Amino acid sequence: MSGEAVVFWIFATLSVASAAVVVLARTLIYSAFALLVTFFGVAGLYVLLGADFLAATQILIYVGGILVLLLFGVMLTHRIYDLDLKSGTIQLGSGLIVAAGLFVILSALALKAAWPTLARAPAPTTAGIGRLFLSDYLLPFEAASVLLLVALMGAAMIVRRRRDA
Amino acid sequence: MIGLSHYLVLSAALFALGVLGLLTRKNAVQVLMSIELMLNAANVNLVAFSRYAAGNLGGQVFAVFVIVVAASEVAVALAIVLTLYRLRRTPNLDDADILKG
Amino acid sequence: MDELSRSLAWFRPELALVIGLLLVVIAEAFGGASRRLALRLLTAGSLAAALTFALELQAGGIKAALFSGMLVIDPLSVAFKLILIAAGLVTVLAFSFRNSRELHGLGQGELFALVLALTLSCLLLAAANDILMLYLALEMVSITSYVMVAYLKGDRMSNEASLKYVLFGAASTGSMLYGFSLLYGLAGTTSLPAIQDYLAGGIPDANRFAVYAVTILVLAGFGFKIAAVPFHFWCPDVYQGAPTPVTALLSVLPKAAGLAIALRFFYGALSAPEAGTWDLAGSINWKALLMLVSVMTMTLGNVAALTQTNMKRLLAYSSIAHAGYLLMGIVALSENGARALLVYLAGYLVMNLGAFLVVTLVHLHDGSFDLRDYPGLYRRAPLLTLAMAFFLLSLVGIPPFVGFLAKLYVFAAVIEQGMGIYATIGALNAAVAAYYYFKILKVMTIDPGNEDKPALQLAFPDRAWLAALALANLVPLLFWERIEAWARGALVLYAGR
Repeated sequence: MSGEAVVFWIFATLSVASAAVVVLARTLIYSAFALLVTFFGVAGLYVLLGADFLAATQILIYVGGILVLLLFGVMLTHRIYDLDLKSGTIQLGSGLIVAAGLFVILSALALKAAWPTLARAPAPTTAGIGRLFLSDYLLPFEAASVLLLVALMGAAMIVRRRRDA
Repeated sequence: MIGLSHYLVLSAALFALGVLGLLTRKNAVQVLMSIELMLNAANVNLVAFSRYAAGNLGGQVFAVFVIVVAASEVAVALAIVLTLYRLRRTPNLDDADILKG
Repeated sequence: MDELSRSLAWFRPELALVIGLLLVVIAEAFGGASRRLALRLLTAGSLAAALTFALELQAGGIKAALFSGMLVIDPLSVAFKLILIAAGLVTVLAFSFRNSRELHGLGQGELFALVLALTLSCLLLAAANDILMLYLALEMVSITSYVMVAYLKGDRMSNEASLKYVLFGAASTGSMLYGFSLLYGLAGTTSLPAIQDYLAGGIPDANRFAVYAVTILVLAGFGFKIAAVPFHFWCPDVYQGAPTPVTALLSVLPKAAGLAIALRFFYGALSAPEAGTWDLAGSINWKALLMLVSVMTMTLGNVAALTQTNMKRLLAYSSIAHAGYLLMGIVALSENGARALLVYLAGYLVMNLGAFLVVTLVHLHDGSFDLRDYPGLYRRAPLLTLAMAFFLLSLVGIPPFVGFLAKLYVFAAVIEQGMGIYATIGALNAAVAAYYYFKILKVMTIDPGNEDKPALQLAFPDRAWLAALALANLVPLLFWERIEAWARGALVLYAGR
């Protein structure tokens, strides 16, 4: 097996196995740390795909931001076992059947479809992505700042304790 | 030879696992984590297509925006979880009072 | 640079809202007794400015792609924008911290900023021409809604509802995103017109399955926004848990934007315009699927509403049912269908906002959302009851109200496409719905009870808005030729190249 294949299988197994732990683990803490491994695994896959900027972003934001936030959430609410949505959950058995079915369907269509083959040779992407942010994708780039403002303001407002005027 | 199909099957697995968690987990934070798995699966798709099928960086740019959206979503969701936690807490339950008003 | 300045020139409504948003956020930092009024004026002013700019755009009849193909400007999208901004403006003016008991004592600046952000996001969504922009705008609408619903953070039921909303919404849009990733893989681009070219070029059999999957996944996202079955589960709880002014806004704004983009997506990406009609690429029978969704939606909404006593939940199910009727406009897959969608949304705006205003006012004075507390309102608040009668009859679809016009348009569009049975189901549903709308009216007027309660003293602004919205339900029929002409003129759908 080529070096690329070895690395791929390592990261792929890491990602999927830890994802399984996230979904099946008994306790929240195990899920959270397994998610950490999944995010790293996916970042490794990005590197393999030549997406260097994205891999760095994944680690900085997903691991360094989102996961830390999730961990805070887990730690701060650890005493509540019933912080749950009792309605609408199904048994593990039927869930596994649905998920397995979904996996089969998605894989089948992925393998069957004739995807285009315009490959992009791996090369540093940061400059290219930056250029796109300021040309083709300028509007989403700016609109995202409104999104972040709303999320920031909203989260702060929801959590704020003091009595409002 | 690692090709597009490897990545697509991988992302299908991640997505299916995310859906599994979505359907079976009772705890809100675990459901949130499952949704993050789904989003990561879509991102793997986007980056893989960018590399092997589309030949442009559009997929990677899309993935960056997905990460931005995911961060916002998690922030708001956890804010609500925290508030819900505070409301459900009865005075005599907790001794580890991390949350100070 | 050239394209940028040109795009900005036609981006004025959205710019007005962005500037308003920033000013509100800054102004909120300063205290002061008249702060609430100032913020409200600022918000309303910003929305009014946006409305004016949008009207200018409509007069201009422009057709162009903006910002490197991220957005599209055409008479159709401008027509949707008018409806969206009008909904925001009416909500900000008719509802307030004063007349909504749920909002008493809560901070005010954030809600105004959120209304502006929501309207802005809906405008972006309705005009999106690229799947990246579409996804981002959809998530902006969603996340802003999540925050608005969570506004009543002291109320446990409200928090549970908003949590349910977030999780359900994130899952739906996550599925839609997976679909978009596949679409990007198939077409090699994020631009909707380019995707349309790709699909019109003929899909090899091997890819047919993938296109199927894409559309179903994408429907998850749209269906969630519109609250169509089976993505409607969040709706009753969220409508009940959110403060009523927010519910009123959410019943119109995201729904209209979601329908606008669904229309554009099915026309702009999945159809082959050279065929003359809006025939979907790949000859896959999407019409049947959408029809099924529409029928399930209206039926479930109506049947569930029959037994509701909580007014907010009842109106939630009523909204779900109306989404079913609105989908008829898309299923018809024709110019008349799109026209019908526009007219229905405009009418729906005044019907629904009016009904929610009445519910808010009753709650303000009596503290109850329960229909069983509504008897005797005819005697205690005659103007309110009369206005509610207008709104309810409009929702049923009885002439001479605007609701009748709306239903007429959608049924006609559907019948014209040869779907007679579909139209009949719609009519039957309307008849079923009439039961619960009339029930409300009956309780308010004929039912005995509450004889000891005093008359409702409604403030002047409230009475004015009740009258204005009631008239808005009645008057359009007089101008139906104008409406027809406007809808016809708005029907230019630019492919956004």
